[in-house]
Amino acid sequence: MDLFRALAARRTDEVIVTTMTATLQWPLVSRHPLDFDFLAFGMGHASDFGLGLALARPERKTIVLKGDGGLLMSLGSLVTMGRHAPGNLMVLLMENRRYEITGGQTLPPRVDFAALARAAGVEGGGITGMGRVLRIETFDEFETTYPAMREEQGPHFVVLPVHTTEPLPPVAHTDHAGRVRDLRAALGVY
Amino acid sequence: MSGPGVSAAGALAALRDIATTHVLAIPDSENRHLYAAIEEDPDIVLITPCREGESVAIAAGLWTGGRRPVVLIQNTGLMEAGDALRGCGVGPRIPLRLMVGWRGYPGARGRLPIDSAYPFTEPLLRAWNIPYSLLMSDDDLGTVAQMDRTAEESSYPAAVLFGSAFRP
Repeated sequence: MDLFRALAARRTDEVIVTTMTATLQWPLVSRHPLDFDFLAFGMGHASDFGLGLALARPERKTIVLKGDGGLLMSLGSLVTMGRHAPGNLMVLLMENRRYEITGGQTLPPRVDFAALARAAGVEGGGITGMGRVLRIETFDEFETTYPAMREEQGPHFVVLPVHTTEPLPPVAHTDHAGRVRDLRAALGVY
Repeated sequence: MSGPGVSAAGALAALRDIATTHVLAIPDSENRHLYAAIEEDPDIVLITPCREGESVAIAAGLWTGGRRPVVLIQNTGLMEAGDALRGCGVGPRIPLRLMVGWRGYPGARGRLPIDSAYPFTEPLLRAWNIPYSLLMSDDDLGTVAQMDRTAEESSYPAAVLFGSAFRP
């Protein structure tokens, strides 16, 4: 939650796409028309949706908050990101090494997500050829690294080791079509 | 009258006519000539995801952001993309435009061994309540615009099914 509070405090006009555990936690720190809860929209595909949004709306950053378990469901997305992601896409991967939302089942322990992203072509990739892959180990490092990352061209794929210390609120899915309409309206799309 | 199958140039023109901005496609035997035509088109952006579920989710993001994507997909990929189609199209009523290659169709007409993907294709689209038209020759190219109108008016995915490889 400290990470999300810090991110929310620095929020300007970014679209924030959340899924899985982030979907439950992000609303505790942000209620913004450009927040988008992707949880009901397709397992493992939040960053794909974010890639499409970022391509469509180059005037603002799209930031995707997703988990490591979700990434395992669509590893090919990294290759697609390495080839097609625009400079305004940032994927923040919450690495907790477990399927937290379903009860904490563990992930394969030896997977190196930053190395996967590099091997998929994200580093130096994307349509800008300026893709970056980072692993940020501490909250202080995030606080010092994020402002520059926010301003520079990406795409960015950032691995953030996290653990949850506060209880998760319940899942609340409502009106998926309405949320899409609301996001389009917030983006000025009618 | 036109020859058998659909010309890639005709299909590309139909995509341009509906103001397509992006095509999400994975190469397959049937779409290869259309894929090549899109690749050469100066106005339509070709995006090549690794699997079809990605295609559907990227298309949903593009549409939400105000663009007009088309997903070019084989029926096998439609099956792979089921959860993405549910989550990014059917559930939130996002008007995805789907051009679906009907692998197995020529076999069912006696020219090749029947592919197991053939018999499930129409029932699958019907199960999703996705309206579709058949694009079997250049005479049917108007179905692309029809798909576009149907998706827009219903705010729901719509499809065309093409039954053989696009001609160069």
